[in-house]
Amino acid sequence: MNFSKKKITAAFTVELCPKCNALKKRKFSDGDTLFSTSAKCTSCGEITIIEKIFGETLDE
Amino acid sequence: MDLVDFTNIDFNQLFAMNDETNPLMMLIWILPIFLFIFYGQRIQLIVTSNELNKAIKKLDGFRSEARSELLNYVKNNLNPKNDPTKKIDQFLDYFTIMPVDMDPNGIVEKVRHTVRSREDYTREHVQLLSPEINDFELTKVQTLLEIASSLQMIYKIINHMFLTAKKQNNYPLILPLQMILPFIMEQAEAMRDAISPFKLGQPVGDGIGPMVVGKMMLNSPKESIAFQTSLAKLDFDGRKLSLLKAEGPGSTVGRPADALECLVSDTKIDAIIMVDAALKLEGEDSASIARGFGAAIGGIGTERFQIESIATSHQIPIFSIVVKQSVKEAITLMTKDIANAADDVRSQLYDMIRENTKQGQSVVVIGVGNTAGVPQ
Repeated sequence: MNFSKKKITAAFTVELCPKCNALKKRKFSDGDTLFSTSAKCTSCGEITIIEKIFGETLDE
Repeated sequence: MDLVDFTNIDFNQLFAMNDETNPLMMLIWILPIFLFIFYGQRIQLIVTSNELNKAIKKLDGFRSEARSELLNYVKNNLNPKNDPTKKIDQFLDYFTIMPVDMDPNGIVEKVRHTVRSREDYTREHVQLLSPEINDFELTKVQTLLEIASSLQMIYKIINHMFLTAKKQNNYPLILPLQMILPFIMEQAEAMRDAISPFKLGQPVGDGIGPMVVGKMMLNSPKESIAFQTSLAKLDFDGRKLSLLKAEGPGSTVGRPADALECLVSDTKIDAIIMVDAALKLEGEDSASIARGFGAAIGGIGTERFQIESIATSHQIPIFSIVVKQSVKEAITLMTKDIANAADDVRSQLYDMIRENTKQGQSVVVIGVGNTAGVPQ
């Protein structure tokens, strides 16, 4: 019997606010590209920049 | 339930070989010995064949998955005029005959010519599938095509080795296959997992070099210096930096050697620094950073040869910073650890520039690797 859990890799996008340096991690959405502009910062309203895109392995 | 009493076995009787031994018992012990002497290899062949069969079925699954992913991508995203199935099947079976190396003189030029001709041919024919295709989509399809044809080639070679050994009933012939199979499977699984990030235009582990240099290029004017290669010039701490990377966010490695050749022809360069991903050794931490000397660039070797030749003829020292990772990490979606290493690599790069050059000198920084999902 196989007790090991199946692992899946989920992609995440990290947005950085250039004004208040706030970082926000969210699920990757189609069209996200590094260093491109993204949503408004939730704390100061400045347009955020995509700082990182990476994958995290999670148990299904 | 009756349990066998193992504490009551008479070993003297069981293993005895005297006059009172039961001939039937003797036969039971002796027969397997002869069976293994004469048919041992056959039995091993059957056992090993079953393991190999499972792996080959997996490889077959990978190649058909890669083919159908590629076909679906082309049909759904490129709007081809005709059904692309036949054309793509032809591409998957394309082979490259490497130049003869009996006389190694000029072999690098010949290899470069062969490889570039193949790339040009694929690019032109993918463009013919859908004339309106943009460069971003074109590089994606080219990479997916490379993955699918590599998986096809792996399956064909492994299957050929297996069937030959089976046909000849030759156990020693199957041994090397059994030994290399875990490594082949690791690479094939990595390639299968690479399909999704390349389709979605996400950065892969190998993109750490372009990611580091791309961020440094962000607020500077950029120009195309060689095929699919971007250049930005900026000043840093009294030094003139020429930053090179493949043109993102398409999936390409660019031609950094051609770009370097262009740069040294009109500027005096005092140092070259290359930032790349490197394969980690077993036991080494993933995303660990190491510094060294020499050209850090993978591939078939032609780019490295050209960069080394330029550096040698102009007496330019080459320094490198590498981010260690496994084969799988290099071609699949960038891991969190590797992405987090980018800032540290950048600060080590600035340290390296300060330590190895003086104010007023010129430095070329090359972000080596596949720039999928990494603009500049």
